[in-house]
Amino acid sequence: MSDYDLIVLGAGPAGAAAAIKARSLGLSVAVIDEAPAAGGQVYRAPSPALTATQPDADREKGDALRAKLAASGAVLYANHRVWSLTSGFSVIAIGPDGPLTLEAPSLIVAAGAIERHIPVTGWTLPGVIGLAGATVLLKAHGVLPGRRVVVAGSGPLLLLVASKIVAAGGEVAAVVDAAPHTGWLARAGAMLARPDLMAKGAGWLLALLKARVPIHSGAAIRTIHGTDGVEAVTIGPVDRDWRPVGDAERTIAADAVCLGFGLLPATEVTRLLGAEHRYEPELGGWVPAVDASLQTSVPGLFVAGDGAGVRGADAAPLSGELAALGVISRLGRGGDLAREATKIATDWHRSSRFGAAMSALAMPPPGAAAMIAAETTVCRCEGLSRAKLDAAIAAGARTLADLKATTRCGMGPCGGRVCGEAAAMLIGAATGWDRATVGQPSARPPLRPVPLAAITGAFDYDNLPIPAPAPL
Amino acid sequence: MSALYDLAVIGGGILGSAAACRAAEGGMRTIVVEQQTLGSGASGVNAGTLSLQIKRVKLMPYAIKGHELWERAGERVGFHKTGGITLAFNQREAELLHERMALKREAGAPIELITPARVAELEPNLSRQVVAASWCAEDGYANASLSGAYYRTLLDTVGVDIRERTPVTAIDRSGGAFELATPTGTIRATRLLLACGAWLKAAGALLGLDLPVRARVNTVSVTERGPALVGTVIGHATGLLTLKQKPNGSVLIGGGWQGTGSPDEGRSWVDPTTLLPNLRLAMFAVPGLDRFRVVRSWTGFEANVPDFYPLAGAAPGIDNAFLLGCVRGGYTIGPYIGTLMGDLILGHEPELPLFDPGRFVTTAAAA
Amino acid sequence: MAGDLRIGSAWARTVSFRFDGELLTAREGETLAAALYAQGRRTLRMSRDDSGPRGAFCFMGVCQECVVSIDGRLTEACRTPVHNGLVVESVR
Ligand SMILES: Cc1cc2nc3c(=O)[nH]c(=O)nc-3n(C[C@H](O)[C@H](O)[C@H](O)COP(=O)(O)OP(=O)(O)OC[C@H]3O[C@@H](n4cnc5c(N)ncnc54)[C@H](O)[C@@H]3O)c2cc1C
Ligand SMILES: Cc1cc2nc3c(=O)[nH]c(=O)nc-3n(C[C@H](O)[C@H](O)[C@H](O)COP(=O)(O)OP(=O)(O)OC[C@H]3O[C@@H](n4cnc5c(N)ncnc54)[C@H](O)[C@@H]3O)c2cc1C
Ligand code: FES
Repeated sequence: MSDYDLIVLGAGPAGAAAAIKARSLGLSVAVIDEAPAAGGQVYRAPSPALTATQPDADREKGDALRAKLAASGAVLYANHRVWSLTSGFSVIAIGPDGPLTLEAPSLIVAAGAIERHIPVTGWTLPGVIGLAGATVLLKAHGVLPGRRVVVAGSGPLLLLVASKIVAAGGEVAAVVDAAPHTGWLARAGAMLARPDLMAKGAGWLLALLKARVPIHSGAAIRTIHGTDGVEAVTIGPVDRDWRPVGDAERTIAADAVCLGFGLLPATEVTRLLGAEHRYEPELGGWVPAVDASLQTSVPGLFVAGDGAGVRGADAAPLSGELAALGVISRLGRGGDLAREATKIATDWHRSSRFGAAMSALAMPPPGAAAMIAAETTVCRCEGLSRAKLDAAIAAGARTLADLKATTRCGMGPCGGRVCGEAAAMLIGAATGWDRATVGQPSARPPLRPVPLAAITGAFDYDNLPIPAPAPL
Repeated sequence: MSALYDLAVIGGGILGSAAACRAAEGGMRTIVVEQQTLGSGASGVNAGTLSLQIKRVKLMPYAIKGHELWERAGERVGFHKTGGITLAFNQREAELLHERMALKREAGAPIELITPARVAELEPNLSRQVVAASWCAEDGYANASLSGAYYRTLLDTVGVDIRERTPVTAIDRSGGAFELATPTGTIRATRLLLACGAWLKAAGALLGLDLPVRARVNTVSVTERGPALVGTVIGHATGLLTLKQKPNGSVLIGGGWQGTGSPDEGRSWVDPTTLLPNLRLAMFAVPGLDRFRVVRSWTGFEANVPDFYPLAGAAPGIDNAFLLGCVRGGYTIGPYIGTLMGDLILGHEPELPLFDPGRFVTTAAAA
Repeated sequence: MAGDLRIGSAWARTVSFRFDGELLTAREGETLAAALYAQGRRTLRMSRDDSGPRGAFCFMGVCQECVVSIDGRLTEACRTPVHNGLVVESVR
């Protein structure tokens, strides 16, 4: 017996919209999220400690979303981390009260995105944090990443984070963008589709110029210096293919670095369930292959939001609604929804253009592997340098699985979620293969490390279902 | 026309690779054809337990030889001889333990029964609820994820050609030699060894053989690195737990609990309903695991035939074709039985008898 | 790095907790990672591999760099709200 008609994994803008839509058409819906409240990354609920800050549009949108979701009648399992799933579908989570298993014939995965990283010497120092992580500190906690911050990497989060730091009274020592100036211009067409968002970006830029923040395009961090934490950052130019060029280096004093190279669709769940995936650089990399209703190759498994391809916060709720309509049609409920679906799809495609253009802007070209020095730690969990990984590749490792087997890269607690893209870039650099050919890592449970005690709970030895022993 | 090999081995697991090495040492021009990469099958994902206490009585002489070969491989495969303890937590399990270990001891494994007090001395962090236990000083483990890299070096050294990412999709033997169809061209050889692991049934069908090969889906889990808990290989009287802590502090938990999926689907999945008792058993045996987190659970296919003994010998009714697979405890025994197979193909008498596939298959359909 | 990195001053209740024995304060409900980071406690442990200092990196439960020990259990500091009397140990 199923517990619900539909389970939605992720209560960000995509998942929340999917749940609200499905509820409005009469489905019983559970939404499950590891965060303490709905909202996802962009509309993350501020920590309860943060009672007064200046009004913030994202926060207001988040409050509205939380209120609508609460009123919809969907059951929200907050603080529940999903660690495994099986087809059919069972969703297996650990919550504050222990293990929880939910079952439903349909599943919408709206798990969002994770950040892409390109390692640089010194990036393991305390005070170096992800760009996406910096938005969490700033928005949910009202905490500055540092007093004097270098914001580096690629993509639109650079300007967002830098402008938020400035607005909060922090100092941005430099914005360092690997993409050349022309990168932004080349995408201008798509960006003009959304003059409102364009204006938002221009506003960030203006704020930075007003604060006299130096913005270096076509540049990247060469080294982050420090002993106990960040003390200074050396930057230098990169060419159009993001290869370090020339010796025009400069060293900037700083006590923190925010570093990130765009977002990757979080596809672990869809990979774990065996859905087909395609490589779509414009959407951030590997994405599940879907039909027009956002159903994957696994019947009943739908995707929405950044997890279906990084298209940004505005496109996310539309894809959630589209997926909800897909679920309803598949279950044979809710009458003729084709017209509504077409309309939502049209809006979704329009708003996707901007997000996808932004996502593409962050995407490293193949030459970016040259940004990683031989001695740089690539796999943080296992302390593996580029030189070690290169040696394994030279000895025959051709896949992320091979690298894992021979070096333990990706075997640590992050499960390769931080180093996987960099490792794939190294294989690509050595073999000349493109990212699609290098392939994806295999997804296995648990999706995040889970305490053994949380899985096993209390039990009685005599009740263990021990099968007959193997033949003698 | 492409080169003619003396021997083509389909399947780059431990079994196929070990046989290929021996054949090449004996002078045969040999190629290994592997659909993915060397060691990507069971050979690379297994728990790496080298325990005589969980070997079948009749396979004990092979397992002892297998241990010797892994010990010689040493560091290259992460070999550790730690000794192993098998635990019984109630009377029924104690009886099973006594009965089985006595027979294994007779078969040549240096296994002794030890008291719970001795267990507590050897491994102070084990459960105090042990009622009976056995010990084997020969037991230990190696790192299965190094299988592919290890055999790649060996195969290179003896001059075996390796063709990876090359599935064999058809076998034609109308022209005398075996012609193996692959997406990247035909491979020709006068002799053929199928060492296709869980895919042996499908590969046998390419020769018109109907092999009664089935696949079990075994589950293994690993924790993140943590403080030292145990130094030996820990087992359970029923065989349903194998556990060891690597020098880096991570704990590997196996025991043959069954996942879902099949070789035909090309994938297998961890089944949370069998993972649960597997982890509970581990936690019961080693209570200190409550401080550890699981970082990954995975599955692999282990092939077997109805009597759970190997298929190792000439393919019935097909000249110059051989079959090798379905070895229970095949990580331990694989290097040795693969070598015996190489000897058979070279026309030498193997040191220990092989396991004639003819016991299942009487005739080959004309292909 | 001196001072507190928190923006603004209107906060909810202040609570206290221990990190490796030392008494520290936090705003109730703040995550442990944010509370420690904001007070300049950026080093949470030493790497087993290069013995270099490590601290919170992703703030979203992915990287596992912020892992600490609470009641002997490993926990991500970035996903753990601070409450009064919380006792936290760093992971060796
Ligand atoms: C850290 C981060 C910060 C960002 N900040 C901004 C920003 O400030 N402004 C902006 O415009 N865009 C930002 N983005 C991009 C923005 O997140 C997306 O465009 C938008 O939020 C996508 O919505 P979504 O619903 O697809 O995913 P999300 O909003 O990411 O929601 C996904 C939800 O799934 C949950 N989840 C994932 N896996 C599991 C699991 N295993 N178990 C339980 N729950 C799970 C997560 O907790 C999350 O709440 C950020 C992205 C990230 C990763
Ligand atoms: C999870 C698990 C845990 C285990 N734990 C232990 C243990 O602790 N101790 C122990 O002793 N044993 C253990 N075993 C058993 C052991 O791993 C196997 O018996 C052994 O590895 C089998 O080796 P193999 O070479 O026959 O098969 P495999 O390693 O599976 O090799 C067969 C190869 O053939 C290839 N192939 C198949 N069809 C084709 C084709 N048509 N064309 C080209 N290539 C093809 C496959 O890709 C594969 O690489 C375990 C097994 C599993 C699955
Ligand atoms: S900072 Fe990455 S998991 Fe907490």
